Amino acid sequence: MPMKIGNANFHERVETNLHNTFMRGAVAGAQERLHTRRLEAAKELGNWEEWRALGEEIRQHTLENLDYYLMQLSENVAKRGGHVFFAQTAEEANNYIRDVVIRKKAKKIVKSKSMVTEEINLNAVLEAAGCEVIETDLGEYILQIDDHDPPSHIVAPALHKNKEQIRDVFREKLGYKQTEKPEELALHARKTLRREYLTADIGITGCNFAIAESGSITLVTNEGNADLVTALPKTQITVMGMERIVPTFEEMEVLVSLLTRSAVGQKLTSYITVLTGPRDEGDVDGPEEFHLVIVDNGRSNILGTEFQPVLQCIRCAACVNVCPVYRHIGGHSYGSIYSGPIGAVLSPLLGGYDDYKELPYASSLCAACTEACPVKIPLHELLLKHRQVIVEREGKAPISEKLAMKAFGLGAASSFFYKFGSKVAPSALAPFTNDDRISKGPGPLKAWTEIREFPAPNKERFRDWFREHQKGGGK
Amino acid sequence: MQTGTIHNRDKFLQTIADRLGRKQRTERVPRPHWCHQPQWTVFQGYSQDELLEALKAQCPRIHTQCVETTSAELKETLKEVVANHGGGPVVTWDDPRFDEYGLTHLLRDEWPKENTDVHIWDASAGRKNIDFADKANVGITFSDITLAESGTVVLFSGNGKGRTVSFLPKTYIAIVAKSTIVPRMTQAAAYIHEQIEKGHLVPSCINFITGPSNSADIEMNLVVGVHGPMKATYIVVVDR
Amino acid sequence: MKVSLFVTCLVDLFHTNVGKATVELLERLGCEIDFPEAQTCCGQPAYNSGYVKEAKEAMKHMIRTFEHANYVVTPSGSCATMFKEYPHIFQGDREWEPKAKALADKTYELTQFIVDVLKIEDVGASLQGRATYHTSCHMTRLLGVKEAPFKLLKHVKGLEIVPLPNAHQCCGFGGTFSVKMGPISEQMVDEKIEHIEEIHADYLIGADCGCLMNIGGRIKRQGKPIKVMHIAEVLNSR
Repeated sequence: MPMKIGNANFHERVETNLHNTFMRGAVAGAQERLHTRRLEAAKELGNWEEWRALGEEIRQHTLENLDYYLMQLSENVAKRGGHVFFAQTAEEANNYIRDVVIRKKAKKIVKSKSMVTEEINLNAVLEAAGCEVIETDLGEYILQIDDHDPPSHIVAPALHKNKEQIRDVFREKLGYKQTEKPEELALHARKTLRREYLTADIGITGCNFAIAESGSITLVTNEGNADLVTALPKTQITVMGMERIVPTFEEMEVLVSLLTRSAVGQKLTSYITVLTGPRDEGDVDGPEEFHLVIVDNGRSNILGTEFQPVLQCIRCAACVNVCPVYRHIGGHSYGSIYSGPIGAVLSPLLGGYDDYKELPYASSLCAACTEACPVKIPLHELLLKHRQVIVEREGKAPISEKLAMKAFGLGAASSFFYKFGSKVAPSALAPFTNDDRISKGPGPLKAWTEIREFPAPNKERFRDWFREHQKGGGK
Repeated sequence: MQTGTIHNRDKFLQTIADRLGRKQRTERVPRPHWCHQPQWTVFQGYSQDELLEALKAQCPRIHTQCVETTSAELKETLKEVVANHGGGPVVTWDDPRFDEYGLTHLLRDEWPKENTDVHIWDASAGRKNIDFADKANVGITFSDITLAESGTVVLFSGNGKGRTVSFLPKTYIAIVAKSTIVPRMTQAAAYIHEQIEKGHLVPSCINFITGPSNSADIEMNLVVGVHGPMKATYIVVVDR
Repeated sequence: MKVSLFVTCLVDLFHTNVGKATVELLERLGCEIDFPEAQTCCGQPAYNSGYVKEAKEAMKHMIRTFEHANYVVTPSGSCATMFKEYPHIFQGDREWEPKAKALADKTYELTQFIVDVLKIEDVGASLQGRATYHTSCHMTRLLGVKEAPFKLLKHVKGLEIVPLPNAHQCCGFGGTFSVKMGPISEQMVDEKIEHIEEIHADYLIGADCGCLMNIGGRIKRQGKPIKVMHIAEVLNSR
């Protein structure tokens, strides 16, 4: 599927998902677990802040020199006999890949997890060209066979599904006859997919980190599916977002360490696989042909702007796992395959403000995301920047709000207006006041009082009390 | 090796340079000396014994069995471990170390005599290697470098060291020489980087394998054994 | 020691008691309080909604109002944080950036001031009861004041402080977020209240009136018996 999920508007999606009790329980439970594991992993290292600082250094340096490193990467891939295609747009990427697939007369394609291929909607293009495309990451596989249910989390895409739902889908679509026990479900997936790996014509992967110095790509999984996708079919196509690159193996290992700890609290995942070009002379497994597709799709528009830090992202979802808003509304509410805080910053940049203008406001700016990010992206500040852009450049703020803010500007910049306003507030709100509180407020207070009581303005303002207090000699 | 092709690079990189507000960088960009280097402090100064202890402590956390043995007893240990995992069929790398460690007789004679099928990776047999690996119960390789902190074996592919030996069979066994144990991935990466600087080519597949495969995609429940091996054992040879 | 009080618009308008408690407490600890009457609002409501121009007008006014001060103390973690943001907001402005920096450097949140500047941890307060403390997001994560409130509360005679489960989670205020995204804010504040009830706390104490109005307002609507107090009021209790 493409980056955008569904057509309902933001508030409708939120309303629906707030009622999804299972999803909310699953998300809250996952957050507890992953948050705890990340903190434990960080504590065990002992100097986590230094690691974060190093992660930030590496990512910032790489972005500042992105053209150089992509040049070096492509030269080294070609030296090893691999083919490199630089795709400015999703369409260019899809066309190139489809051409390779057609040239190879491929019928069956196995894929390991790749957010960027979902972003460009690759699967739909290949299916339209007559190919069977099979997701092999267990979570993605479950969603795929469940009629392409969209992912709700960057790292754990099927988080919103319970095991009973998965069992039912397996029964309906795969002829599964056993129970909802996760071990049995996984074993069935293992058997089914093993046959697919062995008969696939092409393997398509994403890329966690490309290594410029050697023309290598790094794949990080627990399942080992990326290994099977790349070792068995004759052709391998790797698709990468252009910013997913490091200078050398030494930076790769630092970022992998940050990624695995931040995402799932592991020192390393079961498989960190570094692949360079097609297979070597004399090798039996591994692809005969290797293609690397490097995708821009709007990322270059972010370079050189105040949003550039968002490209530092290593897709660990640590921010998603601490977000109190995501906790309640779940991934699908964001209307994008990129959800949570990173999604709220990235989706408007890649997908435009028309579809995503509510996302930057769906945040209390608590900064838990900024605190959690292993490469120190100032996520909450970038959300704030989006609000500034929406107000000032896009002119998309509601008129009533603009007027209210103008009044604020006047009132808060002038002690005369402020004092006057604060003096009349109690009497202005008197009709709505009951004892010391307001339960059904007018205007801007209405939204507040739908959920909470609002305190009535004190008849004696602090400043009045203080004046008297001072006269009384401070006693 | 025939050089591969590169398409559409110029405009793509020019766009990046334009957005960054400067000319395209084509001259070598020196890698900065990073201000922070915490990765080097992990297990700093540990002896090989201490590294081995750290590796052993990590193994249960990654659902991996760790067995210690000596060169003299390796053959018997390997037989026992494989038997405990349900016996053959066994697939192994074609690696001179099997000979150096005195295991050739086991692979070519003893096991076949006991009706344990053994397939040693054979480049000339093409796809048959993969078919055997798919049906094998046990895959055995040596560990080229071993990482204590995470309990990881590092495998360089090529020259009879097929990729799929370590992940198609149901069980994976790595023979680990104690001398190959380093603190963490930092040392392995430094070694590989050094080789590249010297002009050596990296193998087409370098795998950092930590225990058996697993997934937590179903209700965050950890299931061990998805796609890749369901069990893993490291046999550490302490006098190598 | 002369201390200029930045009482905050929320306290000024809706929580006179918090202002009173702050003044009485600081005077008892030996401070002379200056209250610049011209003060209005730190600008957060406009700034956090993306209205930089309008917010800057308020900010300049506040910079001018406190230009004379040696110490600026405020009973609000988020407002202190906002003052600390001023230099970043006025970055590149040759006239206002240095002034903003001067203000930021001399601004303290109340508990931070008492512990780090006055170097006092026992203010001689007493309050009977079982209480929990809400670690507000900006004060904890952005201002970095994590220990001071606990150090002070520890010495309040008769007060049992119980840790709040999931304390790191936002209460759902977030300024305009609480009204713009009402349904989400409601879920967040309800979860916060569940955790307070879980530990059977009589009191919820906090250092930010925004958070306290949010949690307290919801508690009142639900008719629950939890008493909500600002830490200034607690520290001023005898």
